[in-house]
Amino acid sequence: MSDSDNKNMSQGSGGLLRSKAMPSLKTLSGEAEPLKGGDRRGFLKGLLAMTGAAATGQVSAVTSRGNLPPEVPSWTKSLGRGVVSKPYGTPSVYEKDVVRRTVPWLTAESISSISMSPLHELKGLITPNGLVFERYHAGVPEIDPEQHRLMIHGLVERPLIFTMEELARFPSVSEIKFIECPANGGMEWKGPQMEGLQFTHGMLSCCEWTGVRLSTLLAEVGVKPEGKWVLAEGADGAAMARSIPIEKALDDTLVVYAQNGEALRPEQGYPVRLLNPGWEGNTSVKWLRRLEIGDQPWHMREETSKYTDLMADGRARKFTFVQECNSVITSPCPEKPWQNAGWYEIEGLAWSGRGAIKAVDISFDGGVNWLNAPLKGMVMAKSLTRFGYRFKWPGGPLLLQSRALDETGYVQPTLRQLREQRGVNSIYHKNAIHTWRVEADGSVRNVQIP
Amino acid sequence: MFRFPDLQIIKRVAAVLTLAGAMTLLGCSEKASSPEKQSGAAGQKPSGALMKASADGVKHELFSVGQPATQAQIEGWDIDVRPDGLGLPEGEGSVEDGEMLYEDKCASCHGTFGEGEGRWPKLAGGMGTLSQERPDKTVGSYWPYASTLWDYIRRAMPFPAPQSLAVDEVYAITAYVLNLNDLVDDDFVLSRDNFNSIKMPNKDGFFIDDRPDVKNPRCLSGCLDPATIKIVETIAGITPTAHIKEGGTDARAYSEEEAGGDNTEAQSAGKSVHDSACKICHGSGVAGAPITGNSDDWQARIKQDKALIYQHALEGFQGESGVMPAKGGQTQLDDIAVKAAVDYMLEQSH
Repeated sequence: MSDSDNKNMSQGSGGLLRSKAMPSLKTLSGEAEPLKGGDRRGFLKGLLAMTGAAATGQVSAVTSRGNLPPEVPSWTKSLGRGVVSKPYGTPSVYEKDVVRRTVPWLTAESISSISMSPLHELKGLITPNGLVFERYHAGVPEIDPEQHRLMIHGLVERPLIFTMEELARFPSVSEIKFIECPANGGMEWKGPQMEGLQFTHGMLSCCEWTGVRLSTLLAEVGVKPEGKWVLAEGADGAAMARSIPIEKALDDTLVVYAQNGEALRPEQGYPVRLLNPGWEGNTSVKWLRRLEIGDQPWHMREETSKYTDLMADGRARKFTFVQECNSVITSPCPEKPWQNAGWYEIEGLAWSGRGAIKAVDISFDGGVNWLNAPLKGMVMAKSLTRFGYRFKWPGGPLLLQSRALDETGYVQPTLRQLREQRGVNSIYHKNAIHTWRVEADGSVRNVQIP
Repeated sequence: MFRFPDLQIIKRVAAVLTLAGAMTLLGCSEKASSPEKQSGAAGQKPSGALMKASADGVKHELFSVGQPATQAQIEGWDIDVRPDGLGLPEGEGSVEDGEMLYEDKCASCHGTFGEGEGRWPKLAGGMGTLSQERPDKTVGSYWPYASTLWDYIRRAMPFPAPQSLAVDEVYAITAYVLNLNDLVDDDFVLSRDNFNSIKMPNKDGFFIDDRPDVKNPRCLSGCLDPATIKIVETIAGITPTAHIKEGGTDARAYSEEEAGGDNTEAQSAGKSVHDSACKICHGSGVAGAPITGNSDDWQARIKQDKALIYQHALEGFQGESGVMPAKGGQTQLDDIAVKAAVDYMLEQSH
């Protein structure tokens, strides 16, 4: 289908609809068994062939040929650079396209805006620090840690103020947790309009966070019995502030100063931020300067005007903290199309703000039938979880979907179910089952089944 | 399936129990029950540990790290205001004063009547639209409390100069934005004493999170009739796709809706860059920036060689009235974009 065809499509549910021939499910389920014996060898051969093809493409673009067998590559016949030629290491020059990206028309300018992580390029569960999605309301402040303080006051016995060194004296914890903007996917409530995974789901990252439990700090100040809410406030030009219920603060909220083994990046709140595992990213206030204990919520701008979910009847949900169970297939995706028919591993990510992922199902036919996709690697509460499914693609079109289930029994809903309940104007918390259409030529398009 | 963390916790619990037992035997029980052990080990939630300790009558030893926050320190930072008015300082401001301040500090982004310029937030109007197809969420139509307006103006506005307003100025601008929404009269003077008399129209329009609101059964086969499946395609051309698609763009710099009909392509591009990158300062005159469209501000500059003006915009410039950072600090812009913005500003300001 050409782009000019697409221009006629409106994004509303009343837009131009078209159906595609479904693949035969029998063929699919018959072929979609785990790899065994000879199949596995075939798969490896295929992989080698693919790797070779990729290498050819890269090399010819950068150097003259002659680095491929039987020739001895130029880098084998010369010396590379020495230690500390780059005191802080950076990715290979060939990885220059693996970067955060934004959609410029989303916001008025780049200072109060958002960028997305390149989920299609990420492996495992951890998002590298330079690729964690960004969201600022007044740009990234450059904070001198020696002149930064965290103040805790309000309904407490002992209002205290901490230097960064003092915070580091408390017992530390390190936990792997995802962080997601509640607006992730929010551009597609009315219809699909993003041509890549990075833009449909990239307001999502997962790091190992290190810091102090907020409950430890609250014990130091001594919260009075009437203290029911905590106001967290940033030191940036937006002084971004959110009200957090004391139950959460005493449960698993962290005050973190490090991510993935090093100090927080300025974009992520250096020198110290809040982390509310599983909750909308906005509550994990960055550049944290102040925590005030009160007996009721403050109804800040970011919990009234924004980050409230408008329903079809004109009323709005507020304090919608939890990021509900969600998942998406990361390979294939529009940025990672398939080539020829044969074996592939379908991979994806699942996550839930209510706990651990229990299972993921995938569908090849737009949700008519589902098969269980095994979880891979570590499965941790409120962390990204990876799933994979080995699949021999016969070469026809598919409507690929994933559907996650968390330990509370909650099953990721369909788009139709969400729309029936909430309408299409709530912006936030769209965790619907996502559909990729794999075309006969292996390219992948973002579509919706309303 | 291998669940690494569970196993890890079990191991750690076992290790700590053994250690604690050994220490008790050695007469180290005091150390074993120190706060470090309680909150750092065994994957226990420290809140639980602390509460249990006090319930057992065991006095929890504080780490006693950190300094007492003085009253002066707290007062300097404690800027929040709640719906019940708690946190409002003594002061007042009139709609009339607010109008002048608003024109000066707010209108360049929010529009003279609160209608919002470009993608900057609209502040007024939209009453009764919340259940419509295109809801208009403004201060008047959506915000539940006037305190939020006061608090936000003080903490974060005007956008290029947050926390620069005096208390009375915050009262005045708040009063004016309420007036733009027909919520107070033209002669109204807002103060701490009458603040709680302001009732916002959508005060009762919010309800506490009641999710999960959708229950999807985990159907595994024949979940829907394949014949009923309809597919909605993605609208092409509005996603930055240059890195993945031949002929793709990096961004649609400017929406057709926003582009002025009579503008040439170059003018539209210049306006687009200006509105997103330059207007923050050149719209309001912040930091001594000459205001776009104000010929007095620009007269002397227009007489200069255009190449010099380009150079100042690209490389930065220390002028008499203020500092122009290289590319206005938006170093991600390419030179052509900056020059287009300069052209647009000169065009608008002669």
